[in-house]
Amino acid sequence: MTPTVKNVALPLICLALLLVVPAVVSDSYTRHLFIIAFIYAIIASNWNLSLGHCGVFNFGHLTFFGVGVYTAAIAAKTLGVSPWISILSGGVTAALAAFIIAAPVARLKGIYVVLVTFAFSQLAMQLVLSQSQITGGAEGMVRIPYLKLGDYSFIRDYKLGYYYAGLALLSVSTLFLIAVTRSPFGKSLTAVRDAEDYAASRGISVSRQRILVLILSAIFTGFAGGFYAIYLRVASPEVFGFGTLSLALSMVLIGGTGTTFGPIVAALALTFATESLAGIRGFEEARFIVIAVAMILVLRVAPGGVLGILDRLLPSARQ
Amino acid sequence: MTETLLATLVSGVVLGSLYALMASGLSVVWTTLGVFNFAHGALMMFGAYIAWTVSEAAGLGLPAGILAGTAGAAFAGVVIERLLVRPFYGNRNMLLVTVMTTLAAMIILEKGAQIIWGARLKQLPRLIDGEVSLLGVAISAHEAILLVLAPAVLIAIWRFTVLTNTGRSLRAVGQNQDSAALIGINVPVAFALAFGLSAALAGLTGALLGSIRFITPSMGAEPLVKAMIVVIFGGLGSLGATAGAAYIIGIIEALLILWLGLYWTPFVLFLLMIVVLVFRPNGIFGGRE
Repeated sequence: MTPTVKNVALPLICLALLLVVPAVVSDSYTRHLFIIAFIYAIIASNWNLSLGHCGVFNFGHLTFFGVGVYTAAIAAKTLGVSPWISILSGGVTAALAAFIIAAPVARLKGIYVVLVTFAFSQLAMQLVLSQSQITGGAEGMVRIPYLKLGDYSFIRDYKLGYYYAGLALLSVSTLFLIAVTRSPFGKSLTAVRDAEDYAASRGISVSRQRILVLILSAIFTGFAGGFYAIYLRVASPEVFGFGTLSLALSMVLIGGTGTTFGPIVAALALTFATESLAGIRGFEEARFIVIAVAMILVLRVAPGGVLGILDRLLPSARQ
Repeated sequence: MTETLLATLVSGVVLGSLYALMASGLSVVWTTLGVFNFAHGALMMFGAYIAWTVSEAAGLGLPAGILAGTAGAAFAGVVIERLLVRPFYGNRNMLLVTVMTTLAAMIILEKGAQIIWGARLKQLPRLIDGEVSLLGVAISAHEAILLVLAPAVLIAIWRFTVLTNTGRSLRAVGQNQDSAALIGINVPVAFALAFGLSAALAGLTGALLGSIRFITPSMGAEPLVKAMIVVIFGGLGSLGATAGAAYIIGIIEALLILWLGLYWTPFVLFLLMIVVLVFRPNGIFGGRE
C-alpha cells in the first residue's frame, strides 16, 4: 500500500461505505450500535492525540466526555437551551476542564500524571454525585430534550438523523485530528513525546505543548459527550467509571497509539464485537474479560496496535 | 462536643488502619518494581471472596478463611506479576504499559468474581463479637482487632525489609536492579516476592473488611482510590511515610465527614490530593529528587 492509498483512499472508501449503510441497514438497533460506535471513535481518536501523539499519560480523558455530557444535559434540560447549542457548549466546557487539569499536568512526570488525571476524573464524578439537585446525583438525569431540525425529529425514520449527525461529527473530528497532527504543531507534539530534552533545546516549550494538546483533545470529546447526552436523553455518573475508561482505552491500544485511524477502526470493531458477545448467553460479563485479554495480547504481541500488524504483513508499506 | 470529636478520632484511626494495610501493599510494589498496581483493589476483593468461600461455603471457620484469602490473593499477585508485568521489563514505556495491563487484570478479576460468585451480597462473620471501649468510645471488637493488627503487620514488614537478607534484597532491587543482580540477588524472584507480599496484604485487608462491609465484585474500587490518595499524600517512596499518611488521611476523612457530611468529603479529599501533587509531587514527607 502506498501512503496515498492508505491515508487518503482507504478512509474515503470507508466513509463512502458508512454513508450508504443506512440504505442497507434499516433496523434501529443496528443503527444505534453505529451511532454509539461513532461516539466511541471520537473519544478514542481524540484521546490518542494526547496519549499517542504527545505521550501525555492522561487517564482523565473520560472526564472531558463526562463534562460534555453533563453540560449538554443541564443546558438543554434545566436551562432550556436548544439541543444544538447544548452539544456545542459541551465542547467549550470540556476544553475549559482540560485547561484546569493541564496546569498541574504540565509540571508533573510519569506516574504522577496518571494519578493526578485519574484523581481529577474521580473529583468530577464526586462533584456530580454531591450536586444532586443540579445533576440528579447517582440516578442521573433523564428525559433530556432531543434533536430537531425544523419539525423533523432526528429519532424518526429509525434514527436516520442521529446516524448522519454522528457520522458528520466523527468526520469533522477526524479532519481536525489530521490537520493537527500534520501541522508543524503536531510534529512538535511528537518531538515532545520522543525526545523531550532535544525538543526543549530546539525551543519547543514542553509544558505549553502539553497544555495545548490536552485542550485540543478535549474539544471534540466534549462535543461527543453533548451528542451522547442529547441522543440517549440520559446523563449518568457511569461515564466517569472504570468501565467506560477501560473500554475507550482498549480501543486506543488495540487500534494503535499514535495513528489517526487505528482507534476509529478499533472503536467500530469493538462496539460491534462486544455487542455480539453480549448476545451469547453467559457472556454478558465475560465479554469485558475478552476485551481485557485482547488488550494485554495487543500490548505483548503488537505494541503498535492491530493496524501495525497489517502494516508489517503488507511489505509494500515498508519504506 | 469532646465526645463527638473523640468518636470521630477513633473512627478516623480505624479507617487509617485499613488504609495503611492497603497503601503499604501499593508502596511495596512501587518501591521494588516501579509499577503502580491498579489491580490492588481487585486483589483485595479476591481475598475477601476466597475467605468467604473457605469460611462460609466450605464451613471451615473464619481463621482458616482469612488465611486462605491472604494466600489466594498472594498467589493471584504472583500470577499477575509473571504474566502481566514481567514481560514488559526494560520496555521504554514500562510504567504506562503496566498501568494498562494491571487495569486489565482488575477488569478480569472483577468480572471473573461476578461470574463465579454471582451478584448476591455476601458477608463474613466477625472474628469476635461484642464491643470494646476506647477513650470512652465504643467500637466493635472486630474493629479493635484491625486497630491492633495493622500496626503489627506494618512493623513486621518493616523489620523484614531491614533485618532479613530476603527483605534487604527487595530494597536493593528497588534501588538498583543491575547492582543487585551483580551481587547475586535473583531479581525476578525478588519481583515475584514483592508482588506476592503486596497482594497478601491486600487479601488480608479484604478478608478483614469482609466482616465490616458487604463483599461485592466492585468492593475494591473505593479502597484502591483511598490508598492512592494515601500514597500520593505520603509519597510513594517509603513504608513509614505511607503508614503515617494513612492514619492522617483516615483522621482527616473522619473529620471532614463530621464537618462537611458524606457528600462533600470525597470531593475535598481529591482536591487535597491534587494540591499536594502540584506543590509536593513527592508527598508531604518525601524529599526532593
